[in-house]
Amino acid sequence: MRVTPNMSSQNALYNIQKNRAVLDKIQEQLASQQTINRPSDDPINTRYLLDMNDKFQAGTQYLSNLNKADTWLSFSETALTGMQEIMKQANSVVSAISGGSQDATELKNVASQLTELKKQLVDMGNTQYGDQYIFAGTDTNVPPFSVTGPPYDSATSNEATMDVEVRQNSNLTMNVLGKQILTADTAATQPYGNKNILSAMDSLITQLNSANPDFSVIRQNASDLEDGTEQITNAQSDVASKRKRVQTMVDLNTYNNNTLATLRDATLLADTYKLAIQQTSQQTALEATLSSTAKISQMSLLDYI
Amino acid sequence: MGIGATFQIGQAGLKIYQVATEVVSENIANVNTEGYSRQRVILETAPPTNHNGFPLGTGVKISAVERYYDSLLQQQLVNADSTSGHDSLKSQVLSQIEPAFNEIANDGIGASITNFFDAWQDLTLNPSGIPERQAVLTQGQILADTFHTVSTSLTDAQSAQDVSLTTVTADVSATLKDIAQLNGQIKTTELVSGNANELRDRRDLLVRNLSEQVGITYTENADGTTDVKALGGQALVTGDTYATMYTSVVAPATTNSVFVTAVGNPPAATNPATDTNITATVGGANNSKGEIGALLELRDTTIPYYLGKVNTLAAQIVSDVNALHVSTGGRPTYDLNGAAGGAFFDAAGTTAASINLDANVLGVGGTSKIAASLTTSRGDNSNALALAKLANTTDATLGATFSSYYDSLVSEVGLAVKSTENQASQSEAFVNQLTNLRESNSGVSLDEELTTLLQYQRSYQASAKLITTATEMLDIALGMVG
Repeated sequence: MRVTPNMSSQNALYNIQKNRAVLDKIQEQLASQQTINRPSDDPINTRYLLDMNDKFQAGTQYLSNLNKADTWLSFSETALTGMQEIMKQANSVVSAISGGSQDATELKNVASQLTELKKQLVDMGNTQYGDQYIFAGTDTNVPPFSVTGPPYDSATSNEATMDVEVRQNSNLTMNVLGKQILTADTAATQPYGNKNILSAMDSLITQLNSANPDFSVIRQNASDLEDGTEQITNAQSDVASKRKRVQTMVDLNTYNNNTLATLRDATLLADTYKLAIQQTSQQTALEATLSSTAKISQMSLLDYI
Repeated sequence: MGIGATFQIGQAGLKIYQVATEVVSENIANVNTEGYSRQRVILETAPPTNHNGFPLGTGVKISAVERYYDSLLQQQLVNADSTSGHDSLKSQVLSQIEPAFNEIANDGIGASITNFFDAWQDLTLNPSGIPERQAVLTQGQILADTFHTVSTSLTDAQSAQDVSLTTVTADVSATLKDIAQLNGQIKTTELVSGNANELRDRRDLLVRNLSEQVGITYTENADGTTDVKALGGQALVTGDTYATMYTSVVAPATTNSVFVTAVGNPPAATNPATDTNITATVGGANNSKGEIGALLELRDTTIPYYLGKVNTLAAQIVSDVNALHVSTGGRPTYDLNGAAGGAFFDAAGTTAASINLDANVLGVGGTSKIAASLTTSRGDNSNALALAKLANTTDATLGATFSSYYDSLVSEVGLAVKSTENQASQSEAFVNQLTNLRESNSGVSLDEELTTLLQYQRSYQASAKLITTATEMLDIALGMVG
């Protein structure tokens, strides 16, 4: 094949351009530390990468949901522990007088203690997280309980649950329902028990304040309060098991996200050592092209005639 | 025949080698001229005469000054240039579109979709919270804005191709006129004397340049002219007559169509009503030839395809979100105030360009108009939960979740960019290879020319020597007389 100087220079330019393009790509990957900087760099892996990103993002959102739900549940737990304490006090003052031998002053004293405890119980039932009443079902803007009754629960108090998503298509009910704990006798479902703690207390107070207390009623009410304590314990263990589930879900989502992050890094992140070696060899190629181009294009018959 | 014949042969030699040197100098001078084909002097013996019963030569003569030209290579170059013109322009435009879909480097539609539904997730935890509601509105607005941005960059790219059509056709028309003029000059020159080598070189270069812009077929005629036709068979250049290629918007279309007039010198004034509309054929099969082919393909096929996909996505998000948000008899939804849920997105905005939040949620107190509940309870989050779950729901029309559909689109764009880049570099390599072949055949080699120059110089010296020798011989003969 006949070779002209123009061919040599054109080929040299073409090869220098190609070498430079490869070097530029390597340089970009080294600088960004990513093997994929735009979809066309690797369309198939881009698809996987975006999918992993979506899943990772979803996992992060579920973790945020779980975190908030757990705060809500810990508020519930604290309130229920408070209720439990109140019930213990109520039970102990009532057991002291249920023998039936106490004098009227003492009974009145117990009655006023019970009135105070009932008020505290109602306060606990009206615990707020932010501006939401956590025991109020979905009527979170209305205080669910009142000191006077019956009924002791608000007219709108409902038994609807608040569900949040904690994993794809998996819901967690984050609220426990005050109605099922304090005024369970009228609740539609009674998972913890069927006693109305507030009305039992009121009935006790009425008896103790009366001139002629009926001790059979008092004993019945005292037994109801014992059952009510049990009721609160049941609710506590429900919340505890919910928090346990939250913890499991947090672990699961965290593990999931860690796996996704590892996979994503493996797909996306550049192998610096490999790139450095590629760069060196590409640099050598470019230098060789440049040096040979410079040498060959200087040669001419003109130098010899 | 006597000594005079030697004088004549020597003189002819001097003259002819002078011409040969001129041809060499023309070659050397045009070593860097684009499209130049090296020329050579074809020498032959002058007609012999009979002398003393022997046919004796009368020296040397120039039979022709030829250029090295390979018509098959020209044909291949024209085809390769058409493909290369198409591929490189398409690749260039597609890589300009790619950033709109570069979800890896920037947050685009994909991130906005995720953030939008994440805001609904946050709302499930505090359905009556104003900050959470505000976040849903803000993310909805950002989603709409991102769609607008992508839509704008795609439609901008589309109209840029449409505008380019006008520029390219004007350029084509100018080239057609030049080719026709050169055809005329070649024909007249060659009628009078030999080959119009330089004119042919210039014309052939113009044909190659033309083929980069628009796919053509051409034929070389016996009289030295070249006829050029568009891929649809319409004559663009016939002899020294030429056509005008131009664009015009013909209602009801809103974009340019490509027209071509009949050939003439000069051609008749343009008139879209009577001229031939070649929009459908000018780019070749599937608009695969020339820059015009690439422009038409991008404008009419490639960009509308991506735009269509983005529009479908926007339309489905609007309809799916609204389907859950708007209160119906079968599925009543309620806002924070217990009123029936209205539209979240404007139901009329069903394209990426027109997607927008509904006036219902944009007005004063819009945050409370978000229907998070399926009952009138303010703390009821069940509708917010349903909306949040849309993110993972397979949409029947899209056949995928919103994010997944978009991710596929991103990958599809990436694949298109990559494969056109590959095509462009392949056709560039092919053109490069053919150019090398052409250069190998027709290009000027300085070393070669210098060698020829030396050769001709020696021959010139020898011819001169002939004349001095003949002079000496004549002197001897005259001396004998004296």
